[in-house]
Amino acid sequence: MYSIEANQLTKQFGEFTAVDHICFQVREGEIFGFLGANGAGKTTAIKMMSGLLLPTSGTATIAGYDILTQSKLIKKSIGYMSQKFSLYGDLTVFENMQLFGTIYGIPRRELKDRIMASLRELDMDKQANTLVDSIPLGWKQKLAFATAILHRPKIVFLDEPTSGVDPIVRREFWKLIYQAASKGVTILVTTHYMDEAEYCNRISIMAEGQIKLIGTPEELKQQMGVDTINDVFVKFVKR
Amino acid sequence: MKELRMILKKEFIHIIRDKITLALVLAMPIALVLLFGFTISTDIRNAKISVLDQAKDSQSKLLVDKITASGYFQVVAYPENEVEIDNDFKNKGIKLAIIIPPHFEDKLSKEHTANLQVINDVSDLNVASILNNYVRAVVQGYTEEYNQDSQAGFDITTKMLYNPESSSVYMFVPGIITLIMVLVTALMSSITLAREKETGTMRMLLITPVKKIHIIIGKVIPYMAISFIGTIAILIISVTVFKMPINGSLLMLLILCIIFMLTSASFGLLISSISQTQVDAMMITMMGLFLPTVLLSGFLFPLNSMPMVFQVLANVFPAKWFILAIKDVMIKGSGIFDIWMYLLILLVMAVVFIIFSLTRLDKRN
Repeated sequence: MYSIEANQLTKQFGEFTAVDHICFQVREGEIFGFLGANGAGKTTAIKMMSGLLLPTSGTATIAGYDILTQSKLIKKSIGYMSQKFSLYGDLTVFENMQLFGTIYGIPRRELKDRIMASLRELDMDKQANTLVDSIPLGWKQKLAFATAILHRPKIVFLDEPTSGVDPIVRREFWKLIYQAASKGVTILVTTHYMDEAEYCNRISIMAEGQIKLIGTPEELKQQMGVDTINDVFVKFVKR
Repeated sequence: MKELRMILKKEFIHIIRDKITLALVLAMPIALVLLFGFTISTDIRNAKISVLDQAKDSQSKLLVDKITASGYFQVVAYPENEVEIDNDFKNKGIKLAIIIPPHFEDKLSKEHTANLQVINDVSDLNVASILNNYVRAVVQGYTEEYNQDSQAGFDITTKMLYNPESSSVYMFVPGIITLIMVLVTALMSSITLAREKETGTMRMLLITPVKKIHIIIGKVIPYMAISFIGTIAILIISVTVFKMPINGSLLMLLILCIIFMLTSASFGLLISSISQTQVDAMMITMMGLFLPTVLLSGFLFPLNSMPMVFQVLANVFPAKWFILAIKDVMIKGSGIFDIWMYLLILLVMAVVFIIFSLTRLDKRN
């Protein structure tokens, strides 16, 4: 059984088709890269899959739940982190995690232990009572990821999680992603960085709302006859 | 329940950690009520006038005594003719002149009538009409006494209901309470919701299984609480400093205020549900809610004298109903049976606004 299964998923805004009959499957524990230029339809696709937006036609199942009828159950089984850093700056690290943990229904006693364990893994346990506004961006991104997986979701959507972050923190961030995937969490990640695409198990390249290419990085490189995903992308755009 | 508690906690943290806004929101009611109380007062004391007494008999002197004793006027000159009166207006800064005709006493006793002439400086219309009313009141008082003495003619007894001293405090306190509540609850709740949209935390919240009504309650309750503190402060100042009475039950008054805060806060949410940024929310609140509240609530300008369109439009804004109700409770001492309709209107408005905001939050289509 697949973790994510999209079938002819389509979203139209008036005349404009943002997502155009996309079909793809993602296995459990897989890291699936969602590539494409801005406006290619990645964010709209993620919004539909996470229950923020209803599709115009087509369907998808997320962790086995139908996005048309079971959005409540989907919301409980996914985690989400957006390109825009979006924890509360005037709350402390601990308060942020406590807020989202409580919303996801983690029992209070367990919540505190989980937060502290998670912060220790990030080596941020000393910052528990620091206001989020006053920690560096890279740490904020790691914190946002830790918060997104605190309730142990089956699937995590990462919408350009590393944009604006320096290369060292990006590498650390990908370590976290691998760690989560090794525990069986399915990761769907969008990114601008082509080197990051190489880290994914499989990638898809979207344009004009459609998935134009899909496969493992190796397959795509062979298919296009080039050495890097960057070249795949360049060649694809020129085509 | 745990979820709602946590969301409320988060909102209170937002308020408490934003020290400047908190200070502003708490100090503003007190500053505003003092400002209005001491500056907008429409009561005039010791206005300068001159009196041209062409009779100089015992009755005319009695009338002049009455005028000076009223406290409203201070006679600064006794001109001899009308030319001098003109000079008094220009040089002595008098606001009003009274001319008592010759043979005043004779005319009163024989013809039972006499014409007083009052000359006004109408360069300030408000002052002129207020002073004119004062003169009328004083002369009326004088006439009544005269008639009683002479056992002749008719007798008018005026009883000033609900505001025996014609104090302007009675007008502005309900108005100020309204403004404060609208400003704090509607503006603050609309801005904080718009801020969450702007920073992206709203999307973060909406992607979680959080109940949307909890988000709404979280935005309403804390600002109602803050604004309630402000309302209490205004009431205390109004009663102690400006001698505003609370003739109805205090409990009724507080319930009324809480309901109005609920309506205002939900109006704020309605505004933020149609705006994307904090600036949008602020502009829409100012133009779409605050201005109409000042202009169309009947607080500064009487609704009856407005064109029909505005009188109808005024019904849409909660402030009108609240001011009607709060005046009834504070001044007339009305109870629930007199104002239940206003309360019902305010509650229905709140429910409609909240339902609309909820559907806007849940725009999955």
